[in-house]
Amino acid sequence: MQNRPVIVAVGRTKFGEHYGKEPEKLIEEAWLTASNECNMERKDLEACYMSDCFLPITNKLGLEEGFLSELTELHVPMEVTRSFSAALLTACHAIQAGVYNTVLVGGIEKMTDRWDKIRDDLMLLEDPWSYYAGGTPESNHELMLRAYIKKHNIAGENLDKLNVALAQVSVKSHANATKNKYAQYQKAITIDQVLNARKTARKSLGLFDFAPISDGASALILTNEEASKKLCGNPVYVLSCASATDYLNYAAREDLSRFVAAEIAMKNATHIANTALSDIQVIEISDQSTVMELVSLEDLGFTEPGTAWKSIYESYLNNRNFYEVNGRQLFVNTNGGLKADGNPFGASGGAQIFEIYQQLKGQACERQVNLGNGSPKKGCVLEFEGFGTKAYVTLLGEKKD
Amino acid sequence: MSSEPIERRVSYLGDRLRASRCQSCNKEYFEVRDYCSNCGRKSFGKMDSIDLFYDKGKLELCTFVNEPTNKFAKLSSFVYGIVSFHDGKIRVPARLTDQLICDADKIDLSSLEGREVVPRFRRRYSVGKSDVVPTISLAFTLADEYYPHQQYNVVSPSKECEVPGVVGYGVYTSRFRIKEGGMERAIPFIDEDAVTAAVEAGKLALIHSGVDSKLVGKVYVGSESNPYAVKPIAAKVAQVLKLGEEDGDVQCVDAIETEFACKAASSMFKDACSLVNYPRSGVDYAMVIGTDNAQAAPRGCPGGELDTFVGYGGAAFIFGKNDVIAQVEGWYSCTSDTPDFWRRDGESFPMHGGRFTGDPAYFKHVRKSTSKLMQRFSLKASDLSYFVTHQPNPQFPVRMAKELGFKDEQYLPSLMINKFGNTYSGCSPTGLAAVLDIAKPEELILVSSYGSGAGSDAYLLRTTSQLVDKRKSQKVNVKFQAENPFVEYVDYTTYRRLKLGM
Repeated sequence: MQNRPVIVAVGRTKFGEHYGKEPEKLIEEAWLTASNECNMERKDLEACYMSDCFLPITNKLGLEEGFLSELTELHVPMEVTRSFSAALLTACHAIQAGVYNTVLVGGIEKMTDRWDKIRDDLMLLEDPWSYYAGGTPESNHELMLRAYIKKHNIAGENLDKLNVALAQVSVKSHANATKNKYAQYQKAITIDQVLNARKTARKSLGLFDFAPISDGASALILTNEEASKKLCGNPVYVLSCASATDYLNYAAREDLSRFVAAEIAMKNATHIANTALSDIQVIEISDQSTVMELVSLEDLGFTEPGTAWKSIYESYLNNRNFYEVNGRQLFVNTNGGLKADGNPFGASGGAQIFEIYQQLKGQACERQVNLGNGSPKKGCVLEFEGFGTKAYVTLLGEKKD
Repeated sequence: MSSEPIERRVSYLGDRLRASRCQSCNKEYFEVRDYCSNCGRKSFGKMDSIDLFYDKGKLELCTFVNEPTNKFAKLSSFVYGIVSFHDGKIRVPARLTDQLICDADKIDLSSLEGREVVPRFRRRYSVGKSDVVPTISLAFTLADEYYPHQQYNVVSPSKECEVPGVVGYGVYTSRFRIKEGGMERAIPFIDEDAVTAAVEAGKLALIHSGVDSKLVGKVYVGSESNPYAVKPIAAKVAQVLKLGEEDGDVQCVDAIETEFACKAASSMFKDACSLVNYPRSGVDYAMVIGTDNAQAAPRGCPGGELDTFVGYGGAAFIFGKNDVIAQVEGWYSCTSDTPDFWRRDGESFPMHGGRFTGDPAYFKHVRKSTSKLMQRFSLKASDLSYFVTHQPNPQFPVRMAKELGFKDEQYLPSLMINKFGNTYSGCSPTGLAAVLDIAKPEELILVSSYGSGAGSDAYLLRTTSQLVDKRKSQKVNVKFQAENPFVEYVDYTTYRRLKLGM
């Protein structure tokens, strides 16, 4: 097969609060890291695929392509999508179609510039009718947890375990982030901290159950197999990109306990890549909340519906940084996830890809997953737009024959 | 800044909870749809318009919000969740309203889940002072608490009367009260105002009367606390209650605002009667609503003396010639240019003439209209079963009634000032409703309103046998709200906060 899309380099900024930087400074930094890694010149770029979710709202910036053009002094085609995975999917299609050989995929978000109103904007974009009824960015996650508990009849001791399992998701993510120099929170936390934050909030989910509001940028260089040879000896292959869509209004969806779009996207992605779930060892999940990591493990098919919390709880009991499912080890959000790595919407997916790329190439340093027979061979990225309204699954791996 | 077109679209759908149902597969949608996605092209034009406005739902899931988004900040904390209708065919996001959450630990979410809820028409969220006031009915209250679910059944008229009169009425006051001295007063919840009370009162009046809302050809809304200086409450009422024939997204009804301090609504009773009686008006029924979040400056400020008496609520009366429960026999009106109470444009609170509001204002006008009307009909005080008058404070109506020769049993049943406070435009109509709630057929009721500025309208009503028949269609009557076990009492600080609203 010709024109296989491959990633030859990745780059990113630290996620967090970049009060002193313009949005374009962040994307510049990410792009420079990536291009530096593979030693490429900007003139080799034939197109750019950018993503941002909020820039026109938070920074009153339309036509983001324009400032990217200024930055790179390029006049090539540039497109903007809402999420990094969407940008990557579009870029892959272009590479596969043979339209371009080398493109830049980048994502950026500058959310802390509008601390004053970001939660309102976020909610209004995510689900307007929920917003009109008083919904907050956190409330639908809490409702999903309620729906999950009800659907699977989790009560008593099991409910306590589920709650600890959700805390463990956050504890594990924070532990992973201590080894990630780009992460927003490079600080370990304890189960008690997570549980106490819930008590303080008097809610089922607390401060440590939710991803933060962040600034940041990420970028990667995507080429076809042939073009990659000049830039990189062992590129990472994009085995498949798939997406699925669900209703904007969460209340109107058939099943409130999960994300059906994630399930569909994953099925399509594994089908296209002809990959079995058992071949995937490293996973990056869009954990805007700890509940999202829980249900996504099930939606993606790694655990049976209603059981993911058991695997997570086991990892807590055994003090492990991976989940064991059917005798296999699953490493989830080794970069700290959106929870601890940070969640600048348009750039988050880039950080997920960044992590899987490093893991597959054995470059993840302290975070490197070692399965006994070397680095993982295949990885999976799940990214959402909205509250499960769009789901993107990207499978990455070694050369596929 | 708000977007007027978006505001119009969201309100149009959200105020009435408009929905659609496919005639072939019965799938329902919380939106106005021309076709069913399930059935596709063949379902074009085969969708029924339904709405959830008079329905009850079930709270399926809920959570606690204590860090609301900016626009909900004034609510501080509330229960938010998902409500289903029609056995889960439609699910909508929902906020539980009418709850002051003082101790979040006492909220047991799982005990709320599964409970029946009633949609309530409320303010949606806070906006800037110059913006359109957003509303929505995705606010809900528990059906087994203060405000029960009631079905709206249209009843075809059985008897036409020669003399027009009241065919139904509704009074709405909120579940929150302040108790000071011997007096209780109604207070709006923070998402309530004169507009929401007008809609609630009108809704209750439709339920009570059994009148088909599309036959209501005119609606008058009298208020002195409209959140807008310019923009009628009546338009909102007409759209939400679907008054008059519905043609596309327009209601074929005449809707108008009236203002004359506390007699803004009661003054229109005779206009409504005259209109339905005019052979060529084409108007079968006319609705008159008096509604106020009665304004008063805080105590200690100029105008603050009113702060002891003001209440909140609305009263709606439907007039017509079919199935009349109280015929309007006649009226007498008087007016003089007396500045006893006023509010200049742009001022938040009214000013008050102190002692001047008594003898030269209230007593002079009520005395004149009442005695002139009695004279006209050659009636003595003892010929009447009930006397109702405006109740600006607990003393005035008693003194007036006694002076006119009425006995305790004739005027006390109408005295609601000690239960709801002075609800301004809704005040004497609420007193009339309280009397109609208990009156027997063939009784004479005299109601004299008073509006500062100043004037009074006195009406003579004669009850009919249908008064008793219709009573069973209204559970939420005046007594029900006055003596409701779910009433919640608040302190002065909370009262001022709630009264200022979102």
